Amino acid sequence: MAHSNWPEWIYVGVVIALMCWVGAEAWEAERLVEHVPEGAEIIKVTGQQWFWTFEHEDGTKEIGELHVEKGKAYKFEIHSKDVNHSFNIHDYVVLMDAIPGRVNTVWFAPDAVGEHDIQCREYCGLIHYNMRGTLIVEEPHS
Amino acid sequence: MKTLVGLFLVLAVLVIVPAVEYAFAAGAEPGEYLDRRVVIWNLFFRMMTIAFVVGAVVSGTIIWQVWRFRESHPKAKPTPYEGTDW
Repeated sequence: MAHSNWPEWIYVGVVIALMCWVGAEAWEAERLVEHVPEGAEIIKVTGQQWFWTFEHEDGTKEIGELHVEKGKAYKFEIHSKDVNHSFNIHDYVVLMDAIPGRVNTVWFAPDAVGEHDIQCREYCGLIHYNMRGTLIVEEPHS
Repeated sequence: MKTLVGLFLVLAVLVIVPAVEYAFAAGAEPGEYLDRRVVIWNLFFRMMTIAFVVGAVVSGTIIWQVWRFRESHPKAKPTPYEGTDW
């Protein structure tokens, strides 16, 4: 029996269009989020059992606390000294694995003064639950 | 076939090209940093919209098919392999 199959073609077209849409949206969001702004200050983040160490561009080091300025962009270069960790600032949706032997990067720009939790998000041993730090966002110094 | 090519061309112009242009413009605005919370939550809500639309269309189609092709539907016709004795 001869029959028309145009509804199937429309269905296939709609599915392909939706997949393109989903893919484009996700790709675009990823690109936006991963695009590090020029002039972002680099902060080296080291994870080790069971604390975080931060090194600013001027050589200042901090342990367990990170001081940043409101309205500036920061790029974290994250690595680990021992096992896998994951660097997380929950309030700013910053989440990146800290892996021994490689440097992962993520950036963010705090937009309000305040204190936020930093925590490890990859089970890394006995004291993982307490591998925490504090992000302190301050008014710009200059 | 030509119609299909035309259809996909229209889709590309409507959906893909603006998305690509927007993406390549990322970070071009000096002095303004995007808020990753906003970007990520926006993506989440858009994906939820798409997911619910797809869910509604698929389940709606299935419900309609079950309703339309039931034996007791006034316009139901037996298929050849079912015989014609009803």
